[in-house]
Formats: sequence, structure tokens, C-alpha cells
Amino acid sequence: MPVSSDIVTSSEGEVFDVELEVDILRENRRLADENKKRLQSHGIHAIDIMGSVGSGKTSLIKAMVAKLKKNRRIAVIEGDVTTTIDSDLIASEGVPTVQINTGKECHLDANLIRKALDKTPLDKLDLIFIENVGNLICPAEFPLGSDKRLVVISVTEGPYMVVKHPMMFLDAQTVAINKVDLANVMDVDPNKLSADVSRLNPKATTIHTSCRNGLGVNEVIRSLQLV
Amino acid sequence: MHELSIASSLVDALLDIAKKQSSTKVVEVELKVGELKVLSLDQLRFSYELLAKGTLLEGSRLKIEETPGSSRCPNCGYTQEFHASDSAFHFAIPKMNCPKCQTPLVVEGGNECLITKVRLIIPSPVKSDLN
Repeated sequence: MPVSSDIVTSSEGEVFDVELEVDILRENRRLADENKKRLQSHGIHAIDIMGSVGSGKTSLIKAMVAKLKKNRRIAVIEGDVTTTIDSDLIASEGVPTVQINTGKECHLDANLIRKALDKTPLDKLDLIFIENVGNLICPAEFPLGSDKRLVVISVTEGPYMVVKHPMMFLDAQTVAINKVDLANVMDVDPNKLSADVSRLNPKATTIHTSCRNGLGVNEVIRSLQLV
Repeated sequence: MHELSIASSLVDALLDIAKKQSSTKVVEVELKVGELKVLSLDQLRFSYELLAKGTLLEGSRLKIEETPGSSRCPNCGYTQEFHASDSAFHFAIPKMNCPKCQTPLVVEGGNECLITKVRLIIPSPVKSDLN
């Protein structure tokens, strides 16, 4: 069937180059800003906690909640791939908890936090801890809307933890080096880990902790300005 | 590990751009990705191709420019570049104190994750007069 040149031109259309600067992660950032404003409007401090699997994030949160719950109205948002083990543990302290199960995702994002905030009694709170999924690579890319970031690592992860995962430490206000009671057994020098963190992020406060005997928990609380 | 999430956000942003331009097909996309994003570009491309299937992004070329990390001293203006290795998540730990005046450096570059250019087809208005 003969086709007129006019029709051929219009069906092909024209190729245009559009120059722009669109941040791929802008949607997450926008939602994170919304979360932040929402938390601020309720006068709530939010701390996000990151660190690898088994570094002691939940234990440190539990220890802080135990010390703070008399004077602060606290809730804890727990991120995990699956199960409610962590939120059940925190709930034993008698504070509200929300468990987020990410399913296949390795990190929390601002949208998941927005949904979790819907389930949190914001009028009755002034402090929220957000525990991210155990992972040292991905959570750093997705701001959630919190005020401060606490990173928890432990001596049982070996001496190269900080060197191998520098990204996680760049934005942290406080870094807890946990399980220092096991430092000798592990033959890992916690001071070396502190020095690595200080090289990467000279503004961060580094604190040696042990959730077993309570060492350093008060210092972490002070460093995050929670008292 | 977060490449699929990023690719998903990329596809959403591109479909949004294409819609605003009344485009029927996206041919080529240019990205600027900072090394500090520790993204595996192979995985990003793979995820993008998967998600682009069945949309007007299908078959589009992804051109990615990687930008190095850079930091600047807010006190004396000293700047330095530092590099993340592409395939591994490890790199030699950069010193974030100014070597000249010891002020903590501020990270400026390397965190970008931008769409910088989109080449797309926009159908010209159908001409009513065929003569």
C-alpha cells in the first residue's frame, strides 16, 4: 500500500535530546523530607541505627530504651527482611514497636518509614529509634528522615570492618564499636577501629560499648544528645 | 545490592520525563553516577533492561558516566579526589582531615545519581492535509 511521505514523517516522529539534571533518588529524598517535617511537627527526635547483621543494633537500642524510658516517650521501628524477633525483644521493654518486614529488600526506605509512622502514636512520643536492616552497603543510599545516625559495628566482625565499608561511616554522628568485652578473644584492637572511623569521619564520636555489661551505653546516649 | 531499587526509581523518573514530553519512545539515556554510590554498573544495566521491558524504554541505551569522590576543606579550600573501585566495594580509606590545616573535609562529589540527558522520539502532530 503506497504511503505518502507526509504520513511517514509523522509516524516516525522526531528525535529530541532533552538535557536535564534529575536526581534518580529524588522521590526517596522527597519522602524523607516529608517524614522529617512530620516528625518535627510532633517534636520527635528520630535516630536511625545502621550496622551489619549481628553487630548488636537491637541490643544497644534495648539498652538505651531501658535507660531512657522513664524520662522519654519512646517508640522503636524495626526493619528486618523477615520475622518479628527484634520488635518482640524491644517490646519487652514496654515501649511501642513497629516491625517493617522488607521481604526481599536489603534496606529501609523513606516510603516504608512513612507507612510505619502511620502506625505509630506520634502524639504520645518524643523519641523514635529506627533500626535499619542489617547491611553496611545499601542503607546509606536511602535517607529516611531521621535527625541523627548511629552506626553499630562490633569487634567480632574483624579488624577491617571500617576499611571495607567506608560509606556507612561518612554521615554518622556516633559510631559504637560493640562487643569490646570480646576484643581479646577476637584479637581485634577496638582502638584501631576507632582510628579508622576518625580518619573517615573526623566529626563522628566513637564509643566502645558492650551491651552485655552496659559499658559505653550512657556515652552513646549523651553523644546522641538524648539527655 | 541496591541496584534494583535504583533502577526502579530510574525507570519511574524516565517514564515521567517521557510522559511530560509526550514521547512515544526513549532511545538513549545518559546518567552521571558518583563512585561513592558504590553501584555495580553491570547490575544496574541488567536491572534496567529487565524493568524497561514492555515500556517505551525498552531497547534504550544506557550511557553511564562515573564521577570520582571529591572532598574540600571548608577552611583553606584544599581539595582532593578519591576513588572507589568499580567491582569491589572496598577502597583505600581516604583521610577526611585536611592535610594542610586539619579541618574535617566536606564530601562534595561522588554522590551524584543523576539523569543528565534523554534522547527520545516525539511524534510530530499528524498532518491533516495530505496533499
